[in-house]
Amino acid sequence: MNLSSKTSEAAGEKQEQPMKHHCDNHAECMKMIQAILDGEASDAEREHFRQNMDKCMPCIQTYHLEKCIKDSLHSKVERRPCPEKLVAAIKAQLHN
Amino acid sequence: MSEAPMKEGYTDGQKYEVFNREFMPHIDSMYNFAFRLTTDEDDANDLVQDTYLKAFRFISSFEQGTNAKAWLFRILKNSFINDYRKKSKEPSKVDYQEVETTYNSEDAADTTHTVDLRADAVQDMIGDEVANALNSLPVDFRTVIILCDIEGFTYEEMAKILDIPIGTVRSRLHRARNLLKDKLRNYAGHMGYDV
Repeated sequence: MNLSSKTSEAAGEKQEQPMKHHCDNHAECMKMIQAILDGEASDAEREHFRQNMDKCMPCIQTYHLEKCIKDSLHSKVERRPCPEKLVAAIKAQLHN
Repeated sequence: MSEAPMKEGYTDGQKYEVFNREFMPHIDSMYNFAFRLTTDEDDANDLVQDTYLKAFRFISSFEQGTNAKAWLFRILKNSFINDYRKKSKEPSKVDYQEVETTYNSEDAADTTHTVDLRADAVQDMIGDEVANALNSLPVDFRTVIILCDIEGFTYEEMAKILDIPIGTVRSRLHRARNLLKDKLRNYAGHMGYDV
């Protein structure tokens, strides 16, 4: 998913390319992948991702890793509910 | 979202009504945020209580129908920076500017992070292990991950809560996630997971 190689898109057709095992723009790709997973990517970024998501092994692995970390943070990290005592203390203070 | 003192606006009855309807539903998220920032239950209690009392005091500057959760998170974050960071029990706080300078100067965050941690290794981790890795990050990096991945705020909301441009939100998140991956990889290696 090399951001600089948009020749096939410019030609308006999707050409068969061999799977890449090295990404020349990995830092930029990683930012784009994170924006996509965060639901914050632009239309152009989403389209570029859709066109190239199956062509670059480092980016495919990054996508799965970033998604897994994001999901783990959301679902596995314990959420601590506010203690009842604290809610009561705040309400009592308001009326003082 | 300014914290200007009371001017006019709500009657006493309305203040309680707005407080209960708009602010109290977020108290679990607020407590969770406070606990993740302070990593201490007593500090989290104090921080949430101070934040809610402050929110009540400045309730006239809250506009009904706007984003109460982001408004509250911003007050909590500012209270944490001003009042708790100095006295926090957590050792070796790293100043954000220092960390940012380090990462900018080395450009490490952008160049050296290829995939060297397998998704499977993260999948095998339990919540405490992921939480420990998160807790070990400098607080400013920890904060953006909490806001985005745990609380689900948008970049725009995060920019308002943190008083930084959206571009900075995006780059700080990127750096924070690279740091988190380092921690997770070290942790996975230490625990004998196949990284």
